[in-house]
Formats: sequence, C-alpha cells, structure tokens
Amino acid sequence: MGKFVIRRLAQAIMVVIAATLLLFIGLFVLGDPFASTGDKVVPPETQEILREKFGLDQSLPMQYLTYLGNLFTGDLGIDFNQRREVSSMIGDALPATARLALVAIIIDVFIGVVAGIVAAIFRYSFWDVLVTILTTLAIGIPTFVIGIWLRQTVSGVWIFPGVPRSFTEVVPWYQEVLLPAFTLAIVDAAFIARLMRGSMLEVLRTDYIRTARAKGLGERTVILKHAFRNSIIPVVTYVGISIGILMGGALITETLFQYNGVGFLLVKSIGQNNNPVIMAIVTFAVLIYVLLSMVVDILYAYLDPRIRLS
Amino acid sequence: MTTTPEPDLSMPAQAVLVEPPDSSTPEAPTLQDPHKKRSQFADIWRRFRRNKLAMGGMVVVAIMVVLAILQPLISPFDPYDQNLLNTLQPPDADHWFGTDILGRDLFSGMLYGLKLALIVGVSTMLGSMIIGTTLGAIAGYRGRFSDGLIMRTTDIFLAFPALIGAILIVRTFGSGVAPVAIALIVLGWPTAARLMRGQMLSLRESEYVEAARSIGASDTRIVMRHILPNAIQPVFIYSFTSIGVAVVAMASLAYLGVGVPPDTPEWGRLINQGIEQVQVPGKDFLWMFPSGAICLTTLSFAFVADGLRDALDPKLR
Repeated sequence: MGKFVIRRLAQAIMVVIAATLLLFIGLFVLGDPFASTGDKVVPPETQEILREKFGLDQSLPMQYLTYLGNLFTGDLGIDFNQRREVSSMIGDALPATARLALVAIIIDVFIGVVAGIVAAIFRYSFWDVLVTILTTLAIGIPTFVIGIWLRQTVSGVWIFPGVPRSFTEVVPWYQEVLLPAFTLAIVDAAFIARLMRGSMLEVLRTDYIRTARAKGLGERTVILKHAFRNSIIPVVTYVGISIGILMGGALITETLFQYNGVGFLLVKSIGQNNNPVIMAIVTFAVLIYVLLSMVVDILYAYLDPRIRLS
Repeated sequence: MTTTPEPDLSMPAQAVLVEPPDSSTPEAPTLQDPHKKRSQFADIWRRFRRNKLAMGGMVVVAIMVVLAILQPLISPFDPYDQNLLNTLQPPDADHWFGTDILGRDLFSGMLYGLKLALIVGVSTMLGSMIIGTTLGAIAGYRGRFSDGLIMRTTDIFLAFPALIGAILIVRTFGSGVAPVAIALIVLGWPTAARLMRGQMLSLRESEYVEAARSIGASDTRIVMRHILPNAIQPVFIYSFTSIGVAVVAMASLAYLGVGVPPDTPEWGRLINQGIEQVQVPGKDFLWMFPSGAICLTTLSFAFVADGLRDALDPKLR
C-alpha cells in the first residue's frame, strides 16, 4: 500500500509540474503582456523597466523555476493590472467561489437524493417516469444554456438580484449566490438522482432488506434507516469530486451572473493578459483536480487490493 | 475468391476461429441463426427505430445537416448584410427570427451559425476520435512504456482547466473556425484515448485474441481486424455526444469573446450580443433563438447517442 501511495504521489507531482509548464509556455507564446496594443502605447524604456520589475527579463526556464520556488513559499507575485498581491486577490475571490460550490452542492444533493429515492421506491410509477424525463433533459441541456435562461428570465424578479448590476448596488451574498448555484446544481442533481435511484434499487433487492421487512419493520424505517445508508455511498464519491471541480471556479456560470469568484476573476485576467493571476488560479485548479483524483485512486486501491498490485 | 460457406450449426464452433485464407473477404464469417436472415445492421436499426427519442434526435440532426449544406441557397438574406434602417425588429414575415442590432437578419445568421457549429462539431469529433483511438489503442495493446507515457499525457490534459486551455490555444492561433477546432481536438482526444485504452485492456486478454495470436497473426492484424471492431463501440457512441460538447464549447468560447471574428453570426456571439450588448426589454428573441438552437443540437446528439447505445448493446437495457 505504501508503495502504491508513493508511486501515485510521484505521478501527481509530475502532472502538476507538466501542466504548469504547459501553461507557462502557452502564456509566453501568447505574447508580451507589456507590448503596445491598440490604443495602449508603451515606450520601449517603460517596457524594459516593467519587464525587469516583474522578472520577465529573465530566461524562460529561470522564470519558471522562480515561479515554482515562489509557489512553495506561498508567494504568488503581484498582478500586472492593479499591482495588488495575487494572493490577496484570490483570497477575496475564493470565499465567494466556496460559498457558490457549497450552496450548489446542498441544492443538488437535496434534489438529487429525494428524487432518486422517490423514483426507486415508486419504480415505473408516474414519479419515476417524471424523474427519468427531467434527468434526461437536465443532463442534455448544457449548463451554459440553463444559465442564460435563468439569467434572462428569473434575475431581477422577487429575491433574485438583477444581472448585470452596477458596482454601487450591494446585494447580500445569500441572494447573489442563488441563481448561479441553481445553474450549477441542475446537472449534478440529475446525475445524483440517477445514481441514487440505481443504487437504491440494488440495495432494495438485497437479503438484509428482506430480513428487515420480514421482522416487521415499517417501510419507512426500512427505507430511511437500512436502505438509505447503504445506497448513499456512490453519491458521496460523486459529491466529493464535484466539490473539487466547482472549487476550481465555474468560468462560464460566474461570468454569466457576474459573480465575483475565482472563475470570473480568471476570465477577466485573461482579457487583461494578467499572467500572474492566470498562473495562480490555473495552478490552484490543477492542484485540486490532481489531489482529488489521487485521493479517489488511493481510496479505491485501499478498498480493492487488485488495483494496488497491478 | 473463396466464398464463405453458409453457416451450419452442425459445424464445430472452433471452425469460426480459423481465419479465412483470403484476407479480402470483407467480413469474418459469423454463426447465425438460420431462421433469421437479418444482418446485424438491420437488427441494430430495428432496435434503434423503436426508441422514439433517438429517432426524433436523428430526424432533427438530419434536418440540421441538410439546412447547413443548403445554407448558401436557402438563406433568405446575406447574414453579414447590415440594414441600419431596420434594427432590432421582432420576428415577422420578412425576418422570421427578427433582426439584430445592426439590422442583420437573425434567421440567416442562425443558419450560418448552424453551418459553423456542425463544421466545428464534426471536425472536432473526427480529429479527437482519430488521435484518441489510435493513441488509446497503442497504450492499451502495447502496455508498459507507451501506456505510461500516453496515460500520463492524458492526465496532464485532463487536469488542465479545459476552457483556459482552449482560450490560450485559440488566441495563439488567431481567430477563426480552424483554431477553435484545433483547440477542441487538443482538449478532446484524452477522453477518447482513455475509453479506447480501457476496451483494449479487457479485450487483449480475451480468448479469441489469444487464439488469433496462437495461429501467428501479427499484432497489426490482431488489433485492426480482431480487437478494433469489438472495442470501437463505446468510442463510436461517445463520438455523438462529443459533437454536442464541441458545439457548446465553441459557443461558450464565443460568448467570452474568443474564437471566431467578432462580426461572425456564431451562436455564442449572437447570445453575447443579445444579452450583454442589447439590454432592452422585449428583445428576448435575440438570445432565445441561438440558445434554443444550442440546446436542440446537444439534446438531439445526446438522444441519438443514447439510442445507439441501447441499439448496439441490448443487454445494457
């Protein structure tokens, strides 16, 4: 087991290094962030000074090594645009993204689990067919389109703040988070409902459920106490992965609702060639993805010795 | 050319394992129930036809393909033609979907956008399938070093946030349809490669492959003639879903202002224009038609993929 963990860890580190290197090269190929473009005219001397200030006068490998070194000390650099610490910019955006992810997960787990259990218990009934139709639609319709529809129809109505709104308009976070959270939750809710229905049906066929019924337990106790606990396991795995992906920032959804999270910050930074911010956020997203898939692999290997030995 | 003998149930089963001496025989002989004279494709088609959603999806896809091909002929207006005397008109008899902020006919624009979406969707699918299945097959069949190398490469690509990768690639190559397709292929092949590798790994150890190997068939022959036809199914099904995914990705990029040139009537651009630039109440047709078109496209391809999965493998139902 120890050997497997070490091998998997080494793989994860390699992936992080390769992905950040790829991003680094990509940003370099994209062009000089201090060059004159369009209306912006930057005198060559100023360009020199700026490049030196931000370390872009160094050779590319040197820049990359410096970046990696700084990463380990937690120094993410200073952004090109507002001259702020990148770590403080991300520190501002990350709580918003975390709130969005959590609210989305709460919504989708609630809807998904309830719909899945109802569909499984009343199999082939009207409710089961309804859940099947709704999940098919929710999975088929892209999140992008769902976001557009919600934004154009529901925003500005009742408790949902309007989009776009001016900087002066302050909206409490629990209102701001609702529509983007719903947008993100719909697809996941559908997947969770399907997972839940499938695993519930499987569990309901097992012997111990028959035993529980045979000893005279009420249907309610059988479902909620005995079947539920065992059928929720695949949902837990799915939710774990989903949280990780959402924490990396939902670019399109955050942009659509002008939600000041990591994803929207990233989109704005790309438009401004704000390389330090792009580097920091992408590295963060890659780290989360790699860590999560590593944890899942190690968990599976722990549970199933065949994987570990192959 | 030797003709394949009529399958005979009295023939021992191992006769099928013997390769036909003439490699130009198009299909390997299979044992068939003599009472059924249907071919495999007829069987699949019969099962597919029973699925109403899948049929509906296929009809929509067929209509879209015809519209896209006939676009230059049936387009009522030039999609780029501006008419500043007639801007933001709601749908009427002349302009079925209304006109945009520069007085361009939205229906003609949507048709043009449909063509772009299908071109990018299909070329992305073909490109990532060809690269993905080839590399996945090599990884799965050869194992060891090539497997490690290819799989670690897919790890890197899958760990990288897809949209950011696409934006960087498109902006490196400049705007246009080809850069978008290239970016989506670069990001799409790892999924196909993983699917193919998984299939390869399980089929490599199967008995019929061992039999083929024992009679001295070469690796290329085993992979191309014996494993690939059996392994391709999930990749084939996934390819339909991936067209829809590519269409959405292209629109998302265009919505963010990356991809096709700004004046192109691409669906994501039209949506951006409809919801970001024109914020006038009552002009909802500007974003409704393009977002509806994206939705219809992805749903249709997803339904066809679902139907194909059920039709190809009835055991899964």
